[in-house]
Amino acid sequence: MARIQLENVKKSFGRVQALNGVSIDVKDKEFFVLFGPAGAGKTTILNCIAGINLPEEGVIRFNEEIVNLVDPAHRNVAMVFENYALYPQMTVYDNMAAALRSNLYKTDEATIKEKVHAAARMMKMENLLERLPSQLSNGQKQRVAMGRALVRTPNVFLMDEPLAHLDAKLRNAMRTELKEMQANLGSTCIYVTHDFMEAMALGDRIAIINKGEIVQIGSGDEIYYMPCNEFVAQLMGDPQINIVPGKITEAGGAYVFSFEVHGQNITVSMPEDKELQAKIREAGLKAADMGLRPQNVKYSFEPEEGYFKTTVYSYESIGNKSVIQADCGEYQLRMIAPNGLKVQIDQEIYVRFEIDHSMFFDPQTKEYVSRYDEKSIKAFAMEQEVS
Amino acid sequence: MNNGKKRFGYAAQNVLLIVYAVFALFPLIWMFIISLKSDAQVFTTTFVFTPTLANYREVLLRSDYTSYMVDSLIISGGSVLVSVLVGVPAAYALARYNFHRKEDLAFQILSFKFAPEILVVLPLFMIYQKLGLYDTYLGLIWVYQLISMPLLIWVVRGYFEDISVEIEYAAQVDGYTWYQIFFKMLVPLIKPGLVSAALLAFIFAWNSFTFPLILAGRNIQPITVAITKYLGTDTAHYGQLAVAATVSAVPAMVFALCIQKHLVRGLSFGAVKG
Amino acid sequence: MGKTNKNKTEDLNTVPFKTRVRPYLIVAPSLIITIGIMIPFVMAIWFSLTNYSFKLPSHKFITLKNWVEVLSSDAFWNALKVTLLYGVIATVVEMALGMGVAILLNNLNNRLSRILRVLLVFPLMVAPVTATIVWQLMLNSSVGIVEKLLNVFGVYNFPWASSPSTALMTVVLIDVWVNTAFIILLVLAGLQSLPKSPFESAKIDGGSAWFNFINLTLPMLKPSLYIALLFRLMAALQEYAVIFALTKGGPGDSLMSLTLTAYQTGFRFQKFGFALPYILILWLVVNVSAKQIVKRQRAAQKQAAGLEE
Repeated sequence: MARIQLENVKKSFGRVQALNGVSIDVKDKEFFVLFGPAGAGKTTILNCIAGINLPEEGVIRFNEEIVNLVDPAHRNVAMVFENYALYPQMTVYDNMAAALRSNLYKTDEATIKEKVHAAARMMKMENLLERLPSQLSNGQKQRVAMGRALVRTPNVFLMDEPLAHLDAKLRNAMRTELKEMQANLGSTCIYVTHDFMEAMALGDRIAIINKGEIVQIGSGDEIYYMPCNEFVAQLMGDPQINIVPGKITEAGGAYVFSFEVHGQNITVSMPEDKELQAKIREAGLKAADMGLRPQNVKYSFEPEEGYFKTTVYSYESIGNKSVIQADCGEYQLRMIAPNGLKVQIDQEIYVRFEIDHSMFFDPQTKEYVSRYDEKSIKAFAMEQEVS
Repeated sequence: MNNGKKRFGYAAQNVLLIVYAVFALFPLIWMFIISLKSDAQVFTTTFVFTPTLANYREVLLRSDYTSYMVDSLIISGGSVLVSVLVGVPAAYALARYNFHRKEDLAFQILSFKFAPEILVVLPLFMIYQKLGLYDTYLGLIWVYQLISMPLLIWVVRGYFEDISVEIEYAAQVDGYTWYQIFFKMLVPLIKPGLVSAALLAFIFAWNSFTFPLILAGRNIQPITVAITKYLGTDTAHYGQLAVAATVSAVPAMVFALCIQKHLVRGLSFGAVKG
Repeated sequence: MGKTNKNKTEDLNTVPFKTRVRPYLIVAPSLIITIGIMIPFVMAIWFSLTNYSFKLPSHKFITLKNWVEVLSSDAFWNALKVTLLYGVIATVVEMALGMGVAILLNNLNNRLSRILRVLLVFPLMVAPVTATIVWQLMLNSSVGIVEKLLNVFGVYNFPWASSPSTALMTVVLIDVWVNTAFIILLVLAGLQSLPKSPFESAKIDGGSAWFNFINLTLPMLKPSLYIALLFRLMAALQEYAVIFALTKGGPGDSLMSLTLTAYQTGFRFQKFGFALPYILILWLVVNVSAKQIVKRQRAAQKQAAGLEE
């Protein structure tokens, strides 16, 4: 198991710059998640670590040794590919045994049998061992791809969306198994996904990547509560975070946040938070984008004190709860609601913000400035990380 | 009503197929029959006759026929072998690596098949004389590459393109060297295309006429050139002619029967989805 | 820090020479053969501009004189006509017949079709020259089996190769007999590798078999069809073995194709300078048509890939 470091890695394919100076430090035995939209460069990073792609600039280290010139076979990594990459003419058993049979890792057949069966049991596919890849469904192929990696004891596991094609039940089961197994084996694992719930559930730390650059690295909580910019805030969280553009004005030590709803100006007083207010003053923030998660938006269908009026845009169920989307003119608000409500489009709805849970972004740079309770949240996140 | 139509359609299709089969196969059968007829009976009988092996004896044992066959075998087999050894790696490179003007190069290789042989043959004749390649197996095998290599490279390239490159990555990560990957993993996957294209290459090489006509002389005479000797002879030993013709087709037929499993699948140009 | 660091990492990230050179090493042998052939090519063009002949001790640079003479001769235009007629007609017939048979073989999945799949390739294995000799016998007006068959229908002494009007037909017949198998192979392979899903969804949408054929099968088959067309047309335009074996160009000059004329002028009459314009024109025709067909083939391949998604 190894500590994996990337220092300022740049990689381009022809005219496309896939990685633009990526630096990552994955601790030994860490479960590290690479998260980002499609085309961000996540697979390229995995390929560079595995040695399949050679970066133009930058250094890759395993346990502090530079491995740029080491070929993939000698880096001792195990990789799960997004499109499985199973050897078509070999049975599932042989696919999984392939690595152990190569010249580098010559293992005797008895040990191979043990390991393959152990991995097959974990992936619940012992009955598939004699099949050929062409006789498997996508989900089964994915399990074989995983199994193939699990029989090894590599420096690091590199997994490229390994659970994407499994049904929800199996995916959840695998997630838990995976995390447990990784903890038991004490293996470093770099895991690519574009499912944020998976990222939050599995990752000790998450790296957000966009357009070939690392945007933010931190624990799931850090990224969720203190995203470094609006892009990250919108990426993490379902339903998506609400971004309300507005102005912050100070009147005699007290701060108010004013914003527009259908052209009407609404002002809400901001509860006191010394650190937050200090940061706002420091940044000289007059106009700000307020970020508020949907669960911190309260609504009512009757007019109430402190609620402002707006109209319903849509009402959708997302499983065990629903989302009401309200149209406020220049922007939309999402809020959580129970299932089974009688809601009509264009119906009047009254909304209140729980401002004491909000965060603020610079409207020009879209960067995070501060949030309420920053200090205690930071402490909480640190605690989680250590455990 | 529908069923009746279907059955009629089915029957009609079979009939059409048989009609074509007769057209295609009858001459071969007839050729074989004549080879068994004595000269006297060639013109007098049609299907009912007394078969004799005299013609075979005459041609195979008492003439130079076998040496012509051997020449053909050496040249055709040799050029297919060279084409495979040289062409498969080239096909791999054309499939995997992206270099400037790759498609131009691919087309260039393909265009060799269209180069009029007769255009190339005269200057080649002179060059070969100078280099001492005239009338040699090596010289002919080299020239035959023009015939056998292009199709082989194109078919095999299609096959390589179909194999997802991640399989190679996976094998690398598993600890295999590039050579092991190429021979143990990739080659088995391209086998259908390879053998089918090899068969066609063999057939084209076997049937080639111009090159041996001009670039070979006394030492080397493959079947196609030798058989022209039988043209326009006054004494028409048709039976022997038929033997020559029949036997000349046998090697390719044997090759085809050996690989018949792969034959049709092998020539799909790059659309073999699992 | 900036400069020294960059130097160090540059060394680290240069692809090792061995790997970088590999693609070129791999393609090299085929390139050697390529270049080996370019030389005669260039030489040939040079010669066409001279009056080279085996008899003359040296050759003089006569530039365009040969070309003018050739292009203004009736023989040339006749040869061009014969070549185009032979090449196009033979190819068209072979394509149509080959496609038809391949479709039949594909549709019928019975024992007959499975056996025929291999057997129908056999005509291809008989060299054109040999095939011509066999067919000559069969068409022979006194003893040929075809003649006997025609007699049943009241047709006697059909001229076949001895009359200018039917000579071309005869030659095409023999060519078709030998080469249709090639088309059958390629088209059948193409048909069998078509993906099933577009057809399944078409079944749900309804639509006749003919409709499916025109809008689904044909477009997806186009890449294979173009390849078959390419190889066949190019070969047919240059084919002369059949003509040579059958009549050596006669009767008269009704079968004197470009290639055959070149062969005669060049090797029999030893006037190479005059022969080469014939061949170069042929090469021009072949190359231009090839480029067109390949262009369409690549386009059809891209389109077919879209259909498969």
